[in-house]
Amino acid sequence: MRTARRSEPSDVNTALVRPDAIAETSGRWSASRVLAASVLVVIAAFGIIGPLMLPDPATQDLSRFLEPPTWAEPLGRDDYGRSVIARLAHATRLSLVLAALCVGTALVLGTAAGIASAWFGGWVDAALRGLSEVLVALPALLVVLLFAALAADGSLWTLYIGLALVQWVEYFRVVRARSGLVLGSPAVEAASLLRLGPVHVLRRHLWPELRPLVTTLASLGMVTCILAVSTLGFIKVGLKPPRAELGLMVTEGFPFYDSAPWMSVAPVLVLFLLTACFLGLRRTEVTT
Amino acid sequence: MSQLKLHELTVRHGDDALVDVADLSLEAGRALTIVGESGSGKSLLAHALMGTIAAGLRVNGTMTLEGAHYDLADRANRKQLWGTELALLPQEPALALDPTMRVRGQVAEGSPGFRKDHASALRRADDALDHLGLGHATGAWPHTLSGGMAQRVTYAAATIGGARVLIVDEPTKGLDSDALDRLADLLSEHVAGGGLLITITHDLRLARRLGGDVLVMRDATVVEQGPADQVLTAPEHDYTRRLLAAEPSRWRYEWMAAPASDPSAEPLVLAEGLAKSYGDTELFRDVSLDIRPGERWALAGPSGVGKTTLGNILLRLTQPDRGTVRHHAAVSNGKLQKLYQDPALSFPARVRLADAMRDVVRGHQVPEGRVESLMGTLGLPDDLLGRLPGQVSGGELQRLAIVRAMLLEPALVFADEATSRLDPLTQERTMDCLMSELSRTGCALLLVTHDHELATAVADRHVRLGEAAPSHV
Amino acid sequence: MSDTRRRLIASVLLRRTGQGLGVALAVSVLCFLVVRQLPGDAAYRIAAGRYGDDLVNAESAAAVRAELGLDRSAWQQLGDWLLDLVQLDFGRSLVSSRPVLAEVGYYLLGTLQLTAAALGIAIVLGGTIGVVAARRPGGVLDRLTTAWVALVRALPPFLLGLLLILLLSVHFGLLPAVGHGNSSSLVLPALTLAVGISGLIARVTRDTVIDVTNSEQVQFARTKGLGERVVLVRHVLRNTGVVLVPYLGAQAVILIEGVVVVESLFAWQGLGHALVHAVFWRDVPVLQAAALALARLVVAINTVVDFAVLGLDPRPRRKGVLA
Repeated sequence: MRTARRSEPSDVNTALVRPDAIAETSGRWSASRVLAASVLVVIAAFGIIGPLMLPDPATQDLSRFLEPPTWAEPLGRDDYGRSVIARLAHATRLSLVLAALCVGTALVLGTAAGIASAWFGGWVDAALRGLSEVLVALPALLVVLLFAALAADGSLWTLYIGLALVQWVEYFRVVRARSGLVLGSPAVEAASLLRLGPVHVLRRHLWPELRPLVTTLASLGMVTCILAVSTLGFIKVGLKPPRAELGLMVTEGFPFYDSAPWMSVAPVLVLFLLTACFLGLRRTEVTT
Repeated sequence: MSQLKLHELTVRHGDDALVDVADLSLEAGRALTIVGESGSGKSLLAHALMGTIAAGLRVNGTMTLEGAHYDLADRANRKQLWGTELALLPQEPALALDPTMRVRGQVAEGSPGFRKDHASALRRADDALDHLGLGHATGAWPHTLSGGMAQRVTYAAATIGGARVLIVDEPTKGLDSDALDRLADLLSEHVAGGGLLITITHDLRLARRLGGDVLVMRDATVVEQGPADQVLTAPEHDYTRRLLAAEPSRWRYEWMAAPASDPSAEPLVLAEGLAKSYGDTELFRDVSLDIRPGERWALAGPSGVGKTTLGNILLRLTQPDRGTVRHHAAVSNGKLQKLYQDPALSFPARVRLADAMRDVVRGHQVPEGRVESLMGTLGLPDDLLGRLPGQVSGGELQRLAIVRAMLLEPALVFADEATSRLDPLTQERTMDCLMSELSRTGCALLLVTHDHELATAVADRHVRLGEAAPSHV
Repeated sequence: MSDTRRRLIASVLLRRTGQGLGVALAVSVLCFLVVRQLPGDAAYRIAAGRYGDDLVNAESAAAVRAELGLDRSAWQQLGDWLLDLVQLDFGRSLVSSRPVLAEVGYYLLGTLQLTAAALGIAIVLGGTIGVVAARRPGGVLDRLTTAWVALVRALPPFLLGLLLILLLSVHFGLLPAVGHGNSSSLVLPALTLAVGISGLIARVTRDTVIDVTNSEQVQFARTKGLGERVVLVRHVLRNTGVVLVPYLGAQAVILIEGVVVVESLFAWQGLGHALVHAVFWRDVPVLQAAALALARLVVAINTVVDFAVLGLDPRPRRKGVLA
């Protein structure tokens, strides 16, 4: 209501000024979003550059068993004498890349399916909706667990397929619901009377409405993926040692919490920062 | 004789004065109606009086009721009067009722002895509803009520506490003329029973029906006041005169001369034996009509009778249950356009208007500069195009929608309650723009409205829905 | 009961039954694929799990393979597999050789205890925080709540669990960290689950209470002359429930995911614990039954929620609501 000259509460119908439309144009990033984004950039840089510069994370040196942090080894060495910071960099890269792949796949599939469902209706809609009804009642972890059971040795592929399979449903449901509203709106009816064609509808009507939803879902999806992978590692049914993975590193480090707390605290901190920052990146809280 | 007085009332937001009224008094048995456009401050005045005004606004002034003085700056001191002395009939009855509670309980809870004696409060609620002709609906859920019924329920709920001062805030929204008459009768009954009534409205018909005194507000101040029969027939102030002239029954425009219609011309739209039902409710049946080039049709009738549905069927946007609609080649490929009730919803919400317009210009090879020249004709500044739909006022946006529709040089325009959400002055301006363009290009009109006056002023062929069978006039 | 009401109830039942069947089919086919995937040495592994490492030989491995019927055609096997499911014949655990149904029944009880305790704590905790925060939007308590909610949301259940173990068990020695059986061992896992969920509930409760309190219907109730308490009891609470209850239903999936993690972390004898063990040992019959039970639990919670919404809100249901 800020731009309405005289904002009289009773006369909003003629003022027709929507606060969200204004917030949208100003498009400024809040301080917390800037902070979240910068921390993410730092972590991503660590995950991308770290593995190139740091020593091989698999090299064991049992003589350097649980060595405490030094300047050369900021996070010390683990129970096999492996460099913890090198392992952490590899684990971070693994988490980010795997999550980005899953989110990317789920986003493209789910958005396309959601738009198709709302656009064509009929049996396309019925079939896709039936499928999503089933998947949405299945806890993601359960599906991924079953996929993990499918693979003999916790391969990356099964994790990827399992996570993407679980996640596209989110995009599908949200995109389908919103697309249905948009496609049924007077604006789209007007566009069809003006004979403006499907490209106009996609570009001017659907995408501007869907973009904020999809980006919000994507940052939530990154959190879900990163946590799912590490949770599976933590309960020993995900990726298998000796691979460097955040959840596995927490489990492996936990027994040494008293003598070498850095071993478990470091991956916990990375996980926490990743989730907090991806959550902080969202424009608003959506409760889907 | 009870009396209510207001002294030196101001409402400010920062340095802006939103209401600035020196003295105001009203007496039992004589209605006071405040008329004016949106943004004139009339609703704020009512809420300042009630003590329900938004938190960010600064109020000053005093109110005297029954010899007791109340400082209006203190919002809380009138809470004790709510229900028993002061009552407010809210703007949107459908939103004011709790959707999860049956009507009867919502009326009964306002009764003073409700907490001690539920049973007799419920009986009183039944009596009140029965008196309003809603005896059959005491157990209904709010979502099943029509607009007029919901309003009578809120009236019962607001007045069951016995308050003498009744403030009515913009009650005519979306009401057809029958419901308006019923409402006016109710309010008159309250006045006749010795009550005090303040009505806020932009509907001059209601002001005329209620009689008593009328107060015209504009830009936070009172420009004219006096007895209704005087102010509404022989106004002194120029603004009041314009307000009166904005009523469709008083319009005088060139385009109102009936256009030459050629009965031998091939119809643009040919409809035969149309019927449509929603669920078990039949909207209409056996509707047949032909729209020929340049004709002006109005579909009128109370809300909810299927006017818009019929219009959409004629445009082939909705399928009829029975009957056929045939279109002439002259209305193919974008020569059939529609204007919507809420223009903000007819443009893509998150795209600048310039981009939305450019797609139309490119898609149909509209000549360079056509948008700007049309906008100039309709009195729209160029810089509007740089904004989002939500940042433009309703009247301007509706005119922009007219520009968009006219770019394609249509043969028929369907205006679906296109001005019903606008102020009278804005409605007049918008209709003038639309009709001037239509008569210039010889385009036909299909108007859907619940306002008989508007239909009479604009169209010469009428279909009235909502009676036993649709009738041609 | 009116006709429309009966139709609404029927449509809920139809939808949820369909969902339940679909879920069962999906889980079951996945489990079947797991069996087909089992490599030769998995039979050895199962045999090792069942008879002990010393007694594993080709004979016992072959017995396992025969039991799983790996020598018939795939479609035939799938048919048999689903037929068994329809007859509720889940077979015996490949590890313990006990009937799966009995075993899963035992685990289900554990999970229900944990879920109920966690949900109870979460609703009380989250609801209270939300209502308190809503009293003064933007005030100190509201900001503290926002910070708390953000913190809790950023902690996955297993980290939260570890944190609680460290705090309450290791540092203060108040509660037993792992185990199953007595009531005090329930506290930590239930608390872990509840704290995570309570953040979400607090957030939604706060937003909803603020929305409802500022709504025109509540404003009108006030101007009718009702006191704040009456308004709260007669209007605010029920309308908050209308929003909050479906939201709880949508969180059922998250709750069940948390159950799997927390049970494994605290070695709580429930379905999640059984599931993870079954995955580890490739104990397919238990895997299938546990997964089915968990998925059905989600559907059951949502069915209850649907009926609660029908009871609270007389309006026809909007399209596309919740999970």
